[in-house]
Amino acid sequence: MRLTECLRDEKEEILRLWMEAVYATYPFDAKGVLRTVSDPFGNPGADMTREAAHALYDAVMGEETTVDGVKGALERFVKLRAVQRDTPSRALGVFHLLKPIMRQRLLPHCTDSGELNGYLAAESRLDSLILLAFDMYMADRETLAESRVKEIRSQHAQLTKWAQAFKKSLLVAG
Amino acid sequence: MAKLPAPQELIASRPPFPGEHWLALKPEFSPGSFCYPAKPDTMERLHMPNPHEWDPAADDWGLPENWEKTLCDAFAERLEKHRSLKLFMDICVRCGACADKCHFFLGTNDPKNMPVLRAELLRSLYRRDHTMLGKLLGKTAGARGWDKSVVKELFYYAYQCTECRRCSLFCPYGIDTAEITMIVRELLHEVGLGTHWIMDPVKNCSFTGNHLGIQPHSFVEIVEMLADDCETVTGIRPKTPFNKKNAEILFITPSGDVFADPGIYTFMGYLLLFHQLDLDYTLSTYASEGGNFGSFTSFNMAKKLNAKMYAEAERLNAKWILGGECGHMWRVINQYMDTYNGPTPANMIPPTSPVTGTVFSNAASTKMVHIAEFTADLIYHNKLKLDPSRNDHIVTTFHDSCNPSRGMGLLDEPRYVLKAVCNNFVEMPENTIREQTFCCGAGSGLNTEEIMELRMRAGMPRGNALRHVQQKFGVNHMACVCAIDRATLPPLANYWAPGVTVSGLHELVANALVMTGEQKRTMDLRQEDLPGVEEDETDAQEGGE
Repeated sequence: MRLTECLRDEKEEILRLWMEAVYATYPFDAKGVLRTVSDPFGNPGADMTREAAHALYDAVMGEETTVDGVKGALERFVKLRAVQRDTPSRALGVFHLLKPIMRQRLLPHCTDSGELNGYLAAESRLDSLILLAFDMYMADRETLAESRVKEIRSQHAQLTKWAQAFKKSLLVAG
Repeated sequence: MAKLPAPQELIASRPPFPGEHWLALKPEFSPGSFCYPAKPDTMERLHMPNPHEWDPAADDWGLPENWEKTLCDAFAERLEKHRSLKLFMDICVRCGACADKCHFFLGTNDPKNMPVLRAELLRSLYRRDHTMLGKLLGKTAGARGWDKSVVKELFYYAYQCTECRRCSLFCPYGIDTAEITMIVRELLHEVGLGTHWIMDPVKNCSFTGNHLGIQPHSFVEIVEMLADDCETVTGIRPKTPFNKKNAEILFITPSGDVFADPGIYTFMGYLLLFHQLDLDYTLSTYASEGGNFGSFTSFNMAKKLNAKMYAEAERLNAKWILGGECGHMWRVINQYMDTYNGPTPANMIPPTSPVTGTVFSNAASTKMVHIAEFTADLIYHNKLKLDPSRNDHIVTTFHDSCNPSRGMGLLDEPRYVLKAVCNNFVEMPENTIREQTFCCGAGSGLNTEEIMELRMRAGMPRGNALRHVQQKFGVNHMACVCAIDRATLPPLANYWAPGVTVSGLHELVANALVMTGEQKRTMDLRQEDLPGVEEDETDAQEGGE
């Protein structure tokens, strides 16, 4: 089977396996809801995972795509992982989970049809995507850190203004 | 020779079937997953039981020697006092209708954040001591005993519930999980466990009347500065009446609107609106806080802090109370105030708008009217001259704050006002608004920066809906009627839907309000240039030439 056909045929199964692998990073008793509720607002975590899975697959398999386009599709998922897991490896490691699935489902076909280079190129694209995701993850963590500082300032914004005016009046009065 | 682990091992995927029962899996107290504890000094000054130094990340929380008896007795006492609690403990059939309705569960995917299982943490303790089956069959009947890890678990999950009551909406029996959380928090206070972010405001409210503990003279000066800012924008310096005896209306709002950005602009909106109406009202330095962090502590503390409202209305001889934009303040007023602090002082009468003559019969008992109702009535009777085009640079949506929407049914009034002052209004998806609204993720005293990640995942369903309308309809603003929302939604929006600003309703009202004798508005209340105003002037000049 040629690589392109193989990619098309295996898409649904590979996506399913990857999403299962992502859900397996959550507690067992949460999995049922993640898998079965399809409402994008009633079960946003699963919706984000689905969106990321499709974008990830298309980009890895070499479909026409732009960096901004794929970043946009991964954005919600990366944001979610960035606040759900306490280390970058646990947050972003889920992207690496695609590799064993690809090796199981695609590599034998590619080896048989002599398209190993095509397969290796797909894995390299996955590596690129993981680097992109890492940049996004870091930007999200920076946003969180900035939010803490901004919030502390905002909480007392008017009080600070008042204190500054008070200090100024004291200085004027000598 | 040791080998590096594979990625699968690094991210610690769990086995297909867990080896332990869900109840046996204990939470990990890692930094960012818990709020800082209350200071012993704060707890002592409030006469809270068993004040002590403790660290949530430590093994030993320093519980008092008789901690188990204290908790068992306190639980039994509350079961005796609150028939609703006993009902909530008995009636749940674990149908799971609430399971996926909680924003904390959706954001964390932690099963113990399913409302049914969060309640089960307490219900399992109830079974052991208060049900025949539990006494006889123990664990087989879902019963368990107290131990120190159970106390830690209760703390962990009682502070991962914002008491928003979305789950209650879907419960066929109407179990109010928020009240279960409230009881758990009360129980934990019996052994000296509370959080700083809640107890510090409670202490400040107890001693000086507002969350930050600002003294009366400073409070007045800060409000005066906001009036100065109003003058800069409109050319009109609104009146700032304080502690005025015999004023018809006493106005009480959360103090966050006086101190915190962007709440201050909502407060400026109140001042300008009241000035334009020439309202006979007064602010108070004693009742300088509408918010009630006592309601996140215990029923008694909530009652104590809320008492100042009627006490001040009586002292100042006000006829009724107008309340500002707040969330839990309205839950307390609408749901508990009658029995906490009622009946109202003899000088108070059913609220009647002095501008339209409308009698707010819905507030006949508490004598307190929400400002969204008051303003909606003004607009309905054409008593305000509005220029909504001043808000044309805004495409706004509306976040229903949990307590006013689910706690008191305030759904249409704020929308009516918002549509009158903004030409561009878009609703978020149906199952994320009105009664089904998703919480901001940080209500009930969780809006503290040490749990920012937790807040971002708890607020994810709200952020996700906001992001949807931002991308689909170009929404760049979210209005709300809650001071905690005004504090917590800006970081949430900045994370999930960057570019969306957040404001209170009355900031937008005042931006659109055409006031008698005002100067030409070139900026909004935040002193940001109004788009298009300067160009208009240039056009006019060119046209004149």
